[in-house]
Amino acid sequence: MDFGFSEQQGEVQALARQILSEQVTPEKLASFDEFKAERFDRDLWRQLAEAGLLGVAMDETYGGMGFGFTELALFVEELGRSIAPVPAIPSLVSAALPIQRFGTTKQKEQWLPGVANGSTLLTAALLEPGGEKPENPVRTTVTVEGDNYRLSGVKTCVPFARSADRILLAARYEVGVIVVLLDPAAAGVSIQEMQYTTFEPQYEVRLDEVLVAAADVLAEPAEGAEVMAWLTERTTAALCAHQLGVSDQSMRMTASYTSERKQFGVAIATFQAVGHRAANCFIDVECLRLNVYQAVSLLDSESEATTEVQIAKVWAGDVGHRVSYASQHLHGGTGIDRDYPLWRFCLWARHNELMLGGSARQLADLGQRIAAGEAYCS
Amino acid sequence: MKVEFTPQQIELREQLRAYFGKLMTPELSAECARDMGEGGGPLWRDALRQMGRDGWIGLGWPEELGGKGMSPIEQFIFVEEIMRAGYPFPFLTTESVGPQLAEHGNDWQKSELVPKILNGDLLISIGYSEAGAGTDLAALTTTAVKDGDEWVINGQKMWTSLAHFCDYTWLAVRTDPDAPKKHQGISLFLVPNDAPGWSCSPVNTLGGVRTNTTYYDNIRVSDKHLVGELNGGWKLITGQLNRERLSLVNVGPTSALFNKVVDWARETELASGGTVINQPWVQMNLARVRTGIEALKLVCYKQAWAMTEGTLNMADASAAKVYGSEFFIEAYRLLGEILGQASLVKSESESGQVLSGRLERLYRTASIITFGGGTNEIQRDIISAAGLWMPRASR
Ligand SMILES: Cc1cc2nc3c(=O)[nH]c(=O)nc-3n(C[C@H](O)[C@H](O)[C@H](O)COP(=O)(O)OP(=O)(O)OC[C@H]3O[C@@H](n4cnc5c(N)ncnc54)[C@H](O)[C@@H]3O)c2cc1C
Repeated sequence: MDFGFSEQQGEVQALARQILSEQVTPEKLASFDEFKAERFDRDLWRQLAEAGLLGVAMDETYGGMGFGFTELALFVEELGRSIAPVPAIPSLVSAALPIQRFGTTKQKEQWLPGVANGSTLLTAALLEPGGEKPENPVRTTVTVEGDNYRLSGVKTCVPFARSADRILLAARYEVGVIVVLLDPAAAGVSIQEMQYTTFEPQYEVRLDEVLVAAADVLAEPAEGAEVMAWLTERTTAALCAHQLGVSDQSMRMTASYTSERKQFGVAIATFQAVGHRAANCFIDVECLRLNVYQAVSLLDSESEATTEVQIAKVWAGDVGHRVSYASQHLHGGTGIDRDYPLWRFCLWARHNELMLGGSARQLADLGQRIAAGEAYCS
Repeated sequence: MKVEFTPQQIELREQLRAYFGKLMTPELSAECARDMGEGGGPLWRDALRQMGRDGWIGLGWPEELGGKGMSPIEQFIFVEEIMRAGYPFPFLTTESVGPQLAEHGNDWQKSELVPKILNGDLLISIGYSEAGAGTDLAALTTTAVKDGDEWVINGQKMWTSLAHFCDYTWLAVRTDPDAPKKHQGISLFLVPNDAPGWSCSPVNTLGGVRTNTTYYDNIRVSDKHLVGELNGGWKLITGQLNRERLSLVNVGPTSALFNKVVDWARETELASGGTVINQPWVQMNLARVRTGIEALKLVCYKQAWAMTEGTLNMADASAAKVYGSEFFIEAYRLLGEILGQASLVKSESESGQVLSGRLERLYRTASIITFGGGTNEIQRDIISAAGLWMPRASR
């Protein structure tokens, strides 16, 4: 039993925190509000690449640091703490990790070094309209023509689809699911911009008989669903880590603000009703933190972690929600004033809460597993 | 970071589970149930002495004081297993007052009383609270006044649990009424529960748990009954309460209860067909409880780990206490809903009871630790001050 960070983990956290706290200023964030510019700070991305952070969980053979998922999640937590405008979860977690784990040597050589040095951007299309289970695509289908595959269908809320070099995407085959690395510039791909609550660039991606070469297939029908489940668990855990950063930062902002702000001649933090609501946030964030770290460390060692990831996501949804509204409330009007930084954290708390399933859906899934005898307490 | 037990810790857990499995005979279980999980009966006493002989008392005490010198995380495993087994272990005596006595006691206390505690032969009740001194404990008014070589003790204590079968009371009294701050004039005495002038009357509570009002009427004790320094009682009190908190919220019994409810719901058929667990709302309640238990487990383990490392943060300790005590209430409610009205049939009932009537009792006793052991309001004050550096109002 060890809840401490290794030296290496502490260093990753400190390095990320240092770069992000310097670079992600409120002015910088404001420059992307209301879609004024694509919400992607490419200078920052380059700096993170130079610091080695984009390849933190990538093998040294491909230009990475060779660390594990824990270090990557700690980096993502810091991205949440700063709500940095970079595509880390789609590129590093949802796409690069499965390529490293399941890809051919050729695919790894083709994509991973670029991801680590920041020159390649990957993303993943996990969602379909009305279909929220990435391992079970229904609206995207595939037919086989000799060595080639033809894909048709639709994916929604695909982040960075337009600027990505490849989109990891699953399609239903007669039996099973195949996973491909789609070139967004391929004939038959149409990309329609969406206006998403966080201002992150997201797109609906339509596929009309799009030809995908065998070299771009990441998983054949027999393995596809498993690969999607694998990357979904990791993406879910990463969203939880991001939520941890978002919530912790919102709470700390609230603690400082209420310690400064005076009413009736005293700091409002001295009112017990204020202090106790903040204390509830502290308890919530601690519960989230421990569940996230547990899920992450199990995934890092490739242990069975379905229950722990589901539970972490319930906490991420509930805690994100509660801390967001407690923070807004305890700030009074300032909490929602767009000249004060809190409001953007509220947008991301909502995104992290709902992406890949809110609390009710996670609980329903967990409940089914409990009923099947798969989630007893040890 | 690794959130798993070491092989040695797993072995300790298995050893303990097997040990308590044998110790808890059906007769002893029945006696404990009759005594409302408080202990005090003859079989309970025998079992305690047996544990003393087998070396299971004083786990957390330093070895030089006659204990086992186990780390907090090992103690935590012990607490978890003994609670799981359902033996009402006298933690207050053995794990919180005992080590304080062994460390700060005088020669008589160390040579006479401490060995008896380790043998399971001596039990101590705690006398802090009074009618006018609850959360504001330092407001206590029971006094000890020096008269020649002796101290004369007068006053009345509320909620002196277990006093009716304990040998001594660990009693907080005012010895300096003129101290500049009220907590500076408090001392601790060990008062024999059979001293002339000592008496007690029962206070019965919602959960059926008996506690007591205790009366101190011109009780005379010598200096050897004073623990630690004169007027230095406050530090002993807070030290004892901090140790007590470790055993207040523990995940073991709730995990075991959850598993039993799952089994019950999987096996039990509905009159209308299908099993109880086929109903989506049942799965939802179970999933909520499972989610809460996971956090409780992690919060407790982290606390024990931090104590072992010597890095326990006050805010984390308070967070564990608040979260655990409030979660228990929620868990009993959600699990009770699954069993339905059957969860209200008492354990003594000849028919109709489910899971030995445990939930019927638990929902009635659940509130004690939201205010006991340092009320959750004060814990939240500590969290916002020590965890978030927020200023607080002066009191
Ligand atoms: C079954 C049982 C067993 C017990 N065993 C023992 C024992 O063995 N020995 C012993 O000494 N005591 C014992 N106690 C007493 C227990 O420790 C007290 O009940 C506890 O300290 C609370 O004190 P009180 O009941 O006087 O409540 P009060 O202090 O009157 O509190 C009532 C309410 O007011 C709130 N409150 C008080 N002060 C503040 C504040 N500053 N800010 C915000 N809210 C506040 C509290 O949180 C609580 O909700 C026991 C109690 C019970 C019920």
